[in-house]
Amino acid sequence: MTLKNLACGIEAAILTNEAKAASVEIDTVCAGDRVSDILNGASNATLVVTNLNNMALVRAAELVEVPGICLLNGGVPDPDGLKAASENGTVLIVSPVGMFETCGRLYRVLAEQCKTG
Amino acid sequence: MNTEVYTIEGGDLARAGQASSRFKERLKRIGVGPKDIRRAIIAAYEAEMNVAIHARKGTMQVTIDTGQVDVEVMDQGPGISDTSLAMQEGFSTAPAFARELGFGAGMGLPNIKKNSDRFAIRSTVGEGTCVSFAIIFDPQGILRPAANSVHVEPDRCCGCLHCLRVCPTQALRVRDSTPQILEHLCIDCAACIEACETGALGMPATSAVQRPSKDTVLILPSAFVAQFGGGVPPQEVLGVLTAMGFSEVRPTETWERALQNAVVGYAHEEAGTRPVISPVCPAVVNLVEMRFPSLIENVAPFLSPMEAVCEVLGGCHVVLVAACPSQRTALLSTGLKPNVETVAPSSLRNAVLPMITTTPNAADRRPRQLPANTDSAVNVLQISGMQHVMSALEKAENGLLGDVEVIELFACDQACFGSPLLTEDPFVSRYRWARMGGGLDRNARAIRRQVPFSARTGVRLDQDITKAIEKLSKMDEVERSLPGKDCGMCGAPTCSALAEDIVLGRATASDCVHLPLHEDKTT
Repeated sequence: MTLKNLACGIEAAILTNEAKAASVEIDTVCAGDRVSDILNGASNATLVVTNLNNMALVRAAELVEVPGICLLNGGVPDPDGLKAASENGTVLIVSPVGMFETCGRLYRVLAEQCKTG
Repeated sequence: MNTEVYTIEGGDLARAGQASSRFKERLKRIGVGPKDIRRAIIAAYEAEMNVAIHARKGTMQVTIDTGQVDVEVMDQGPGISDTSLAMQEGFSTAPAFARELGFGAGMGLPNIKKNSDRFAIRSTVGEGTCVSFAIIFDPQGILRPAANSVHVEPDRCCGCLHCLRVCPTQALRVRDSTPQILEHLCIDCAACIEACETGALGMPATSAVQRPSKDTVLILPSAFVAQFGGGVPPQEVLGVLTAMGFSEVRPTETWERALQNAVVGYAHEEAGTRPVISPVCPAVVNLVEMRFPSLIENVAPFLSPMEAVCEVLGGCHVVLVAACPSQRTALLSTGLKPNVETVAPSSLRNAVLPMITTTPNAADRRPRQLPANTDSAVNVLQISGMQHVMSALEKAENGLLGDVEVIELFACDQACFGSPLLTEDPFVSRYRWARMGGGLDRNARAIRRQVPFSARTGVRLDQDITKAIEKLSKMDEVERSLPGKDCGMCGAPTCSALAEDIVLGRATASDCVHLPLHEDKTT
């Protein structure tokens, strides 16, 4: 599923690189608040869901070629992080709800897509 | 080999990650597979963040070689009082500001270890910490596979074509004054290195020998210690190496003997075919796998002595001196254990030379007592030198060596004593070693191979047999049109090899200097 459709499915707003979001395919989600876990769990088809809202995270995600990061609770992104993400092509989205509910929504959307093929 | 150093500023978490980012660009440029890049970058990033979080400043030194990348991250900082505690997942001394950003989860060092093939940490409280790790590239993942360890230095090539003539597998071409190695044909026998007078061909250089830590074991070819002239007996060299700080120095001779005994035993009890070929020389094994596949079942299923050493050694840090490219490739292709590193003989020689003192009356020393090992050697036919090895394998293939029980073949003259990477005359160094050598290794034993030997595609013209047959007939046709002088001026060793190059698109008929110009040279 494209990142854009996924963002729509969970009612998240796309903050950066909207054009890229329409072309990136996401097949797994990695949720966590520890950079080490995210580094190990994410790939170039992963949406990272995290409470971390800073530039260091955006840089780490870029290194392991993560295409998208989902911030939580309708949070306002850290300005440096926002700038870094728009420059290096990372799609930043913001979910209106917290970690638990966001992951639940993502699961539902991805599972439905699996069913319909 | 290529080395670069990046600086890392302590405390600057927002900017940290830049060294890893530049490191990543370099790996991409040389075509490292994505999985290996990922491992390297995760490890590098964790190490870089450690410096940024804990230290005042630091450096990341990256050394890229054909088969691996070595990274050393050094910092000036508080140091770690208990490194084994720091290696436990979840243990962290990171300050709150780092934790808020998602770092300091106590996963950094374990994560580096998990993602690398070799890992070491040294730390002095109050001075700083040095984390070093290596990623060994998956040969299948690399876009240009590192199937051999012969390194080309194009600037030094004088176009003499000597290498072309000695290569037993016709794996070399010299075009535009640059030797090119057809990697799928190269068996790492080092004949070309021996023939090259200008140093255009050699083994990839390794980084200088590091000051060994107190538990470092050094494994080296016996020939190495007999390289320093008549006034420096082998024991003296062994003494110097111990003085350098290696906890143990072990020549491979005992391992070679252990392999010999095991192969003789195997020949007596298990082998159905004669002669049994000992896998002591990796270059010969490569040659059998490529040119003599019908003899693969004759090769005794053991690891070569160097590989066996690697397999047996436990947790201690090991430095291996590979005598030749084939040993190096054999060690790298199976994937080195994390605690093992290889160095070239020349690197170690440079480290040893300043410490050597010449003893004028070394010859007066008592020769050592050789252990009684000659029982099995009677049944072993030893042949060294590529020309003789080829002729022996041809005879064996034709069933003419059925009377020979075990055959030990070495690509170099006088076995590893003749490696072109060593400087002393092979006969002389072998004599000196036999009289004066020492350092028996009680751990030495032969080890069975888990992975069987298998034929190499080598000279196959195409993966698809139908196309291969087509190409073969085209090759015959082209070869008939060539003069058959085998002069080498086209850069291929023989007319037949040029015909193959033409059919496979590596050359055109216009490369031949003998064909009249008015003939149609496009094929």
